Amino acid sequence: MIPLENFLILSGILFATGLYGVLARRSAILILMSVELMLAAVSINFIAFAAYLDGEAFSGLVFALFVITVAAAEVGLALGIVLRLFRERRTSYVDAADSLKW
Amino acid sequence: MTDILGNDLNLQYELLGPEIAVAVTAMLVLFADAFRKELNLGRFALPALSVVGLVIALILSALWIDENEDFARLVQVDNFTTFFRILFAAVTIVVIVGSHEYVSKHVSHVGEFYSLLLFSTAGAMLMAGARDLLTAYLAIEVMSFSLYILVSQTRNDTRGGEASLKYVLLGGVASAMLLYGLSFIYGVAGSTQYSEIAAGLANGTSDVELPLLLGLALVVAGLGFKASAVPFHMWTPDAYEGAPIPITAYLSATSKAATFALLLRWFAGPLLPAIDDWQWMVSAIAVATMVVGNLVALQQTNIKRLLAYSSIGQVGFMLMAITAISDETGSALLLHLTGYVITNLALFMAVVAFYNRTGTEEIADFRGLAQTNPYLALVITVGLFSLAGMPLLAGFLTKFILFQSVVSAGFTWLVVIALVASTVSLYYYLQVIRHMYLYEPEGDTSRWRLTPTGYLATGALFIGVVWVGIYATPFYTVADRAIAPLFA
Repeated sequence: MIPLENFLILSGILFATGLYGVLARRSAILILMSVELMLAAVSINFIAFAAYLDGEAFSGLVFALFVITVAAAEVGLALGIVLRLFRERRTSYVDAADSLKW
Repeated sequence: MTDILGNDLNLQYELLGPEIAVAVTAMLVLFADAFRKELNLGRFALPALSVVGLVIALILSALWIDENEDFARLVQVDNFTTFFRILFAAVTIVVIVGSHEYVSKHVSHVGEFYSLLLFSTAGAMLMAGARDLLTAYLAIEVMSFSLYILVSQTRNDTRGGEASLKYVLLGGVASAMLLYGLSFIYGVAGSTQYSEIAAGLANGTSDVELPLLLGLALVVAGLGFKASAVPFHMWTPDAYEGAPIPITAYLSATSKAATFALLLRWFAGPLLPAIDDWQWMVSAIAVATMVVGNLVALQQTNIKRLLAYSSIGQVGFMLMAITAISDETGSALLLHLTGYVITNLALFMAVVAFYNRTGTEEIADFRGLAQTNPYLALVITVGLFSLAGMPLLAGFLTKFILFQSVVSAGFTWLVVIALVASTVSLYYYLQVIRHMYLYEPEGDTSRWRLTPTGYLATGALFIGVVWVGIYATPFYTVADRAIAPLFA
């Protein structure tokens, strides 16, 4: 069997990449994609722990399923809001959202 | 019925009565809105329907006082849950009653507004009752997703879309961080059930110290975002300013109280054995929150932003109680939360009434309000003094009990910082009061009145603020009984 550490390192890399994307990207769409990467890391973690730690209980696997579903809903919702911003300002860059400060 | 591991599952659906009542009402509201013309509905129909559903939920919650049962090992119905169910239903009723005029004028989709508000309330109720990480996570998202949309529901105001975008993007990141943290806690403790996590962590964690620490840090960060604690507060002022005012009120009351319900459940339950690992994180965040929140509030010119920063400061005070967690501080926290929610709602409902008349939310435009509407000026003054902690008002007594309980738990240094921050806060609260009383009104100087429902909402909350301040014994008893199941 592949050791658990390998999965955790993979998920760590994915999560860090996602977090970097969130901080570095200016397009709302790319930020959303980075959040998806972070959530993929979460799913990997849950599935790996479920397989290695308690072979007979499925709570980790179920958790991963729900994370995937909720992530899809979240993207749908966020894209709707990005669309609204685009209609108002003709851009999906978060820099354009600057009328609220301090 | 049993699950695959042979655990007996209690599937008494009556246990979920309040949540079901609220969710069904939310769907009925959507349905009624879709057939608005065919059903010939007046403009009071949707808010009235929502309030009826919430009153039913309130009664159904009250049936479970002093019971302690779980639903399918997912939701625990005890006094703690009942306390928050009643609080959330009451908050939503007040918000709907106090702002239906605002909603019909300034909100873009009225049916969706009431419906999402109810869904969000159901999510908040489940957050307080969850006894499994998955249930808790789904409840958080039910509440948050509804709020992401609600924040954008302003009509003819582009700030709504911007506020909502910031809220949803940062909220998504915070959820991902929270989940990543939960996955480590699941890995370390081997279960998503609160009771089993507590048992797993109590068994000793010396060989998994690093993942546990990482998990706890991410959980604190994720929940810190939801509670708008510094340094995860950046969305708060923007979302508060861009949102319709009733939603700002709702964000500052229910969303915050639900997060603290979750914090109490987690840090007094499953995560309590690991207290040495998270206590310093929470105390550091508490200090940063009360200092930054109160200092930045000093330079605000918009009333919603001012109240946003003031509520961040209040979160700092409440986090002290989480740091020094015990049944005494927990009960003081519930009491302070109640006082804070009543006070904040009184203020926001007064701001709603003010906005209905004037269409502005700048603090400078409150000039001379004492002459044009002395009643509203009095409500706002009492609300602000209560937040600042003046005697005879809710804020003083609840803050006093909270600070005292934290001192007796041995965190005197935290309370010293809190007292200084609290003194600073008096300055910006007084600024608003100065504008209302010491200046002459500009422009339209005629006297004006609130709508009947405006009087009802602000009047009830005004009485609440004074009542908690003068005679808090019943509230104190209720808070004591509500916190007891967590430390049983």
